This record gives sequence, C-alpha cells and structure tokens, in this order.
Amino acid sequence: MIRHFTEKERPVRDVPLAVIVMLVVSLAIQLIWHSQQQPVKAKAEDLPRPMSSGAYVMASFGEPMAAAKVLNLWLQAFDNQPGISIPLHSLDYAVVTEWLDTILELDPAGHYPMLVAARVYGSVSDREKQRMMMDYIFSKFNEDPNKHWRWLAHGVITAKHELKDMELALKYADALAEKATGENVPYWARDMKIIVLEDMGEVEAAKILVGGLIASGKINDPYELNFLQNKIHSLEEKLTKIQQDVDK
Amino acid sequence: MPTLNMNNIIRGGKMFSKIFTISKFTIIESMRNRLLWLSLLVVAISFGLVEFIGELAITEHRVTQVAVLAAFLRISAVIIVTMFVVSSTLRELQDKTLEMILAMPIPRGSYYLGKLTGFIQVSIIIAIIFSAMLLLYASADQVLIWGISLFFELVLVVALGLVMLFTFNQIPAAITGVFIIYAASRSVTSVYLMSKYPIISHDTISQKFMDGFVELLTWVLPDLHRFTQTEWLAHGTGSFNLLMPVIGQTLIYLALLSAIALFDFYRKNF
Repeated sequence: MIRHFTEKERPVRDVPLAVIVMLVVSLAIQLIWHSQQQPVKAKAEDLPRPMSSGAYVMASFGEPMAAAKVLNLWLQAFDNQPGISIPLHSLDYAVVTEWLDTILELDPAGHYPMLVAARVYGSVSDREKQRMMMDYIFSKFNEDPNKHWRWLAHGVITAKHELKDMELALKYADALAEKATGENVPYWARDMKIIVLEDMGEVEAAKILVGGLIASGKINDPYELNFLQNKIHSLEEKLTKIQQDVDK
Repeated sequence: MPTLNMNNIIRGGKMFSKIFTISKFTIIESMRNRLLWLSLLVVAISFGLVEFIGELAITEHRVTQVAVLAAFLRISAVIIVTMFVVSSTLRELQDKTLEMILAMPIPRGSYYLGKLTGFIQVSIIIAIIFSAMLLLYASADQVLIWGISLFFELVLVVALGLVMLFTFNQIPAAITGVFIIYAASRSVTSVYLMSKYPIISHDTISQKFMDGFVELLTWVLPDLHRFTQTEWLAHGTGSFNLLMPVIGQTLIYLALLSAIALFDFYRKNF
C-alpha cells in the first residue's frame, strides 16, 4: 500500500479500462484512417520566379552570401523534387536566368551561377534552351569580360560542337579576343578565334589574324608566340594545299 | 431504474460543471498571461514585416505578401499555443495546484478534459485574431477556410503539448518534443515520397530499414500536410470540401492523443 504511493509511476491497472480501450480503439482508427486516404503522388512543381535580392538578404538576416549559396543548391536540386525527377530542359529557362541573376546579385564574386549556366543548364539536349543559356553567358561576359571569360570560352565550344553554329562560335570567340584583355586571361582563350576561323575554312583570315597578333607586339609570352608561329606555319601549308587543289 | 438514470444525469452534470470550471480558469489564466496582447503584438509585427516585403517584391506583390504572412502567422500560432499549454500546465504541476485539485473529488479525466477544452477555446481566439489579419490580403472565404483549418491544427498542437508534458514533466523536453513531432507531421509526406521514389535507388539493409521506418511514421503521425495550406490564400484554391479530411483527422488524432495523455496521467503519482 505504502509502495503504491511512493513509486513515481502507478501500475497500469490503475488506469481506467475506458482509457485503455480508447487508446487501442483510437490507434486502430488512426491506422484505418491512414489506409483509407488516397496515396500521395509526386507532383512536379513549376520553378517560381525569384523575389528581389533584398528580400533574400532580409530573410537570411543580412547574410547575402549565405543566401546565395543556399539558393544555388536549391536551384541546382530543383529538378529533383520529392519523389519525382523532372528533366532540366522542361524548366522555364527565362525564370532560370532570373534566378541566376538574383544569385549573382547576392554574391557578385561567386562563379557558381555561371558554372551551372554553362555546364548544367547549357548542356541539355534542347538546342533552343542551350542557345538561351549561351546568350545569358554572353550578356554576363559583356558586363565583365575579364571575370566571365572562361564561361564564354565554354560557350565557343558549345556553339561549335553542340549547336554546330560556327557563326555564333565566331561571334563569341571574337568577343573573347576583343574584350577579354586582362592579364588573367590565358592566350588560348583569346586565340580561339583563330581556331574557329580555321574550322570555318577561313584560312586566309585566320592567317592574317595570327600575323596581326604577332606584329602588334602585345604578346610577350614565349609559349603563346611559339604557338602562333606554329599556327602561321600550319595555316600556310593549308593555304598552299588549297591553292594546289584549285590549280589542278 | 429511473432513479439510477437520474443519478447518472446528476453525476454527468456535475462532471461537466467541473470540466467547465477548469476550462474557465484556463481561459482566465491565458488573459492574465497577456496571451491576447502577445497575439496582437505578433499581428502588429507581421503587418510591418509583410508591408516591408510588399515593397521589395517586384512582381506577384500580393501573393508574396500573403504567402509570407500566412506562413509566419501559422508558425507563430503554433509556437504561442505550445508555450502557453506547456508552461501553464507545468506551473500547476510545480506549484502543487494540481495536487490540490486532485485532492478534491475531481477525476483525473475531468481535469484533463477541462484543461483541453480551455486550451481549445484559447486556440479559437488565436485562430480568429490571426485570420482577421489575413483579411487585409486575401478573400474572406479563403481566409475562413484557412482559419478553420488553423484552429484544427492548433487543437492537435494543444493535445500534443499535453501528451509531451505528462510524459517529460520538463518545459524544454516537452516543447522540443512538440516541435519535433509537429515538424515531422508536416514534412513526413515529402520524406516518404523521397524514400519511395529515390533518384538513385539502393538495396542496402539500412536503406530498407529507413524506408520502412519512414512509412511507419506516415501511419502513426497525423496528415498535417493537408492542413492550413498557404496556397489556398495565395491562389484561392481552398474549398470547404478540403476541410472534411482535416476535421476527420483532427477528431481521430485528438482521441488518440487524449488516450495517450490520460494513460500517462492516470499512472502518475503526485
């Protein structure tokens, strides 16, 4: 009897039978209720438009860079929604570029949005959407050529090999040669125009360009000079061969 | 036999009067705790926040405002109700008020039902105050559906708070328990879908165990993902038909939580 009051917990027999019955019955009803519910189905959601960057700064308690990084991951994983995987090319690319812009506003020094534009959203099988992404990269390159040159170089390769649009590749390569003049830009990026011209059969124009580059005196790197001289040599050989074919 | 029936009626009437008295004092306590003022303060803060967000949004101005406001108010209501239920009941436990009440001819079941109905009435007040705020940004019918759903969600939070309190007897543990179960109930469906249709499938035993555990959770947790959806307000997709499963789930789960709470309560020695 004394033990009954000194123990912290009373025995189960002290619980009224009605409570135990209620516990068992309500648990059974909960299980039956759940079994009667329509099974949940995965539902793809459209990519929503981003809010202004200021809203994200506020939502992150004044941590724009943290907000940018979280949004990067969220956007990158948007194609993997709970229980469903939607193809990247089914996303609305106009909205995707808005997101990329917002993330760049939050973290202007970050390269993540440009990388996903070039390598993730720009690598889909839908050529029209690929073009949209390359245009986006080109517009960003024009804003800061020395920062975004590598993504436009990727754009040259995409235009040449995937879009098979040599005019577009030349446009991008030309912009690289003209605007990406910073010391951090390697010569192979600036010299992409030569390769594109050569591939287009514009051997004469390529040769003139190479000659002009050497003559300008702007190129001091011995490796780049060596590369350009070898290029002139191979272009001359190509030209001679073309002329011989024409004479025959 | 008629005498016996009359006795039952009298006994039943007395029991209701005890439940009514306990619930009345619970409401009085909420007023003395400035719960009404706290709710109005949250409404004022949310108004400022939402108007500021409205200034930032470049498009879908009203939808952005209502989405942020609804989410903020819902979570605020859950936090306020949880804190009040846990702190108020635990104070009675620690001040020995509960022991004094139980020393009187009041069954433990009546005390529980009295507290439950008192807290439910407090939930009605909070749901009404918060829904009224939303009338500034969304249509009245959608706000009504949202408000009713919020009330039923709060009913489950109240019952959950009492269960956790009787189980843990500590404010931090009880509040943490409520928030963990609440968050799990709202997100378990998404977790279930992710585990059922994985992007990269695994056949490992640990993966199967986790999948089974997640599926078990969907059976024993309430379907809170159907409750108080922001998209009703933002896109006007709410309808009174959507409230039927909400009400059904609330009644069933309230009975289950009450049974668990009473089971624990009847086994406690004070």
